[in-house]
Amino acid sequence: MNRSLSPTLEIRRSANGGRICCGNCGYDLAPEGRPWKQAAAVKELSTDETSLEGADDGAATVVRLFVCHGCAALLDSETAIPGDPFLDDVVES
Amino acid sequence: MIDPITFSIIRHRLFRVTDEAVITLKHVSGSAITNEGHDLLVGLYRADGSLLMGGLGFLNHMVYAAEACKVIIKRFSGAIDEDDIFLLNDPYTAAAHTSDIYLIAPIHYKGRLVAWSACFVHITDIGALNPGGFSPDSRDIYTEGFSSPGLKLVARGELRQDVFDTLLNMVRSPEMVALDMRSMIACNNVAKERMLELIEKYGYEAFDEAGRMLIEQSDETLRARIAELPRGRWQARQYMDVEDRTYRVCLTMVNDGERLTFDFTGSSAQADRPVNCTRSACFGAVLAPLFPLLCHDVIWNEGIIRRVSIITPDASVVSCRRPAPVSVATIGAIQSARIAACTALSKMLIASEKYRKEATALWHANSFAIFLFGRNQHKQNVIGIMTETFAGTGGSRTFADGVDVGGLITNPISRMANVETIEATFPVRYLFRRRRINSGGPGRYRGGTGLELAIVAHDSPDGGLHYVISGKGQKHAMTEGLSGGYPGSRNRFVWVHNVDGKSAATTALSFDELPDRKKDVSWGVYPLKSQDALYVASNGGGGYLDPLERNPEAVLSDVRNAVVSREAARAIYGTVIDNGLILDSAATAELRQALLSRRRKEANLG
Repeated sequence: MNRSLSPTLEIRRSANGGRICCGNCGYDLAPEGRPWKQAAAVKELSTDETSLEGADDGAATVVRLFVCHGCAALLDSETAIPGDPFLDDVVES
Repeated sequence: MIDPITFSIIRHRLFRVTDEAVITLKHVSGSAITNEGHDLLVGLYRADGSLLMGGLGFLNHMVYAAEACKVIIKRFSGAIDEDDIFLLNDPYTAAAHTSDIYLIAPIHYKGRLVAWSACFVHITDIGALNPGGFSPDSRDIYTEGFSSPGLKLVARGELRQDVFDTLLNMVRSPEMVALDMRSMIACNNVAKERMLELIEKYGYEAFDEAGRMLIEQSDETLRARIAELPRGRWQARQYMDVEDRTYRVCLTMVNDGERLTFDFTGSSAQADRPVNCTRSACFGAVLAPLFPLLCHDVIWNEGIIRRVSIITPDASVVSCRRPAPVSVATIGAIQSARIAACTALSKMLIASEKYRKEATALWHANSFAIFLFGRNQHKQNVIGIMTETFAGTGGSRTFADGVDVGGLITNPISRMANVETIEATFPVRYLFRRRRINSGGPGRYRGGTGLELAIVAHDSPDGGLHYVISGKGQKHAMTEGLSGGYPGSRNRFVWVHNVDGKSAATTALSFDELPDRKKDVSWGVYPLKSQDALYVASNGGGGYLDPLERNPEAVLSDVRNAVVSREAARAIYGTVIDNGLILDSAATAELRQALLSRRRKEANLG
């Protein structure tokens, strides 16, 4: 039985096990219980761009936008200093 | 076993006891940080020091005060008498930082110790290197002011004047500190009186049984809730910028179906600047957002605390070793741990269809301490915090925008003083204070706005005053969005300084109208003299879901209310609003398609 993992992600189950998929188009991202962000397109914006602060004001963080390769739906976001690893969230059941 | 009606009555009476004690605390204290900002807490504890009923205020202090009670019980074993009141403020024993003083009072009924009440306020000054308690110049605990692992302040109802005078002798602004201390004594006295009335009316056995049942109820409810929520692990991260050095608080929260474990492995080594916190302070920090997010319908007591554990790397910013400095902890590592826990908890909630509506994007993630000090227009020495930090901002929810300047999720009663109150106490004048445009994190639901303000010196006998500023800095946007929502804006603190000696622009109504000599400041002591101004802008809350999904009518409303600019409406929300503030629906649909097409190209979809 399929299960919603978030408003933008779902787990689709088949005889071969569960897969984390885009909730909009079903694009396959990762096996259930595994990190999925590596399978998404990633766009980084300066956090100053997202609030229309001057681009040269010196924000040290970026917003990472995780976008579905299948339909370009925005799947998730996180704030990070460039180079820091993705925040990996794993739902086991 | 007591009957359910008596149980309910006792439960509600306990609520009322904490409510009345908080009112007492506010009314007796004269400091804005207490009676305006509500940087306080009152809690009731069982005879063994376990948390019975947490009141309102900064919620992490419920946990710290429980630990403080247990320390006092052990330290003063055999010497705890009726009507005593004990003081504790040592961070390496139980407190958050030295300026948060706990007064802890045993409650005896017919000669038997039956309960405790405890409260805290951030007192006006503690005698640290810098005025106000947040002491950015300190490099160890020894320079962070008076610190006690426990002393008896009131013995059998009599204030120990020698002890009281010794404390007041070590602080600036002793008259205000005395008022803070007396407010806590009054608070504990009121709590004790009401508790004794309750016990007298319903009997000690019923009171004790109700307390035991309340804790069991909370434990059982949270246990069942944890079991219902998805198992897994969720990560969060917060940054602190101190004098161009970055410190990380890294969190992995694990739900194993029985309990929640907050693992801070990967966090930075302890700093030589006072943003660190102790391990016990970190433990209380993770519970602060857990109370409202997972337990909004549960009594906040020991039953909840039992279900939570933490893992902290030794000698790190979240578990520092003495004598590392900690005076900025409450807006440094403690706040970072609180906010990281809020992120992880919300991501767990969002993974549950049943509990998704309880999730929230981040609220105020970057508190700041700006303590003004100097002589005021009445020629008195004054020290006081700019309470705007308590005004905070609301994170967006899964069904609604965040509340503009909406407070703190970890202090349900936080608020700021009005401008006139500050101007009546300090020789300053506000040039403006208002919601900050474009600060709310974009999303289908927008994060609440932060605020912006500017002050100048006014009517000062010394030509102005100074301020101490500290916190997590201003380089990082830290109010995370949720499920694709963008973060809110970051903080800004700007020292506007006319080096040619001219007066500051006392008629400026915006940041752009202030003079050009501007310098970002976030750590240290700075002047606010006749040629200076201070501009402060606070972060907005995080957004929820894709901003291109926001109802264009809601964007229009935001633009008309001056909380989103027309430029941001177009660039971020794909919403076209003309000069007359009229929505162009056709152009909006076209623009949103164009922005989605660009996103498709960037995602290599052609």
